[in-house]
Amino acid sequence: MLIMINIMKTKQNIESLLSHREKVAWLSLATLAVTFGPYLIAMAANPPSRPLPDLRTMSFFASAAVAHLVLLGGGHLWLRMRFPADARAPADERDRAITLRALGAAYYVLIVGMIVVGCVMPFNSAGWKLINTAVAMIVLAQLVHYGVAAWSYRRGWHG
Amino acid sequence: MAKSRIANQIRTLRFLNGEMTQAQLGERIGVTRQTIAAIEARKYSPSLEAAFRIAEVLGKRLDEVFQWEPAANQHESCE
Repeated sequence: MLIMINIMKTKQNIESLLSHREKVAWLSLATLAVTFGPYLIAMAANPPSRPLPDLRTMSFFASAAVAHLVLLGGGHLWLRMRFPADARAPADERDRAITLRALGAAYYVLIVGMIVVGCVMPFNSAGWKLINTAVAMIVLAQLVHYGVAAWSYRRGWHG
Repeated sequence: MAKSRIANQIRTLRFLNGEMTQAQLGERIGVTRQTIAAIEARKYSPSLEAAFRIAEVLGKRLDEVFQWEPAANQHESCE
């Protein structure tokens, strides 16, 4: 019983330590990992061989995108219901400094990705390879964005 | 990430100000409770404006709330 109470108290402390935007960053990282992670791994391990439009691959991509949307939306809704005051609070100067840092880091990843996909790959690739590389670069940029934000909240960032 | 070299007495001063909570202080200066916790733990250096506001709410001068800690080697070379 005492162990249970301690676990509950620790859980509450952790929940109250994290700001709303940090929870959102962790939620976004988790949803990206569980939805687009399997999709991109499957595409890398077994690249689609049929020409565009390949309905099987397209439906796989659509299911990953819809699952991501549903999980992210559900997570946001749960956070708003569980911590309404935190969710309503506007972003403060620390949130803005961390967002700026996270977006700055993700920007470089996205730029490199777009140069690779838009300027280099069209000379030797096409179809799903091009599409999936673009998806992978966007997912990577998002992972960097939310990863840097979550890391900055946890480890500290002095703006 | 290394801790900020700006030390602070916010926790002590909160207790001396009628055991003010982090949430109350945050509300009065316009930041979240978690940001006050991060400032106290030296995980975030507040802007100059936020620092002045904190000092104002706690009824102290800025240098009574925040102190600059010189680096160890810099301190030795000064001596």
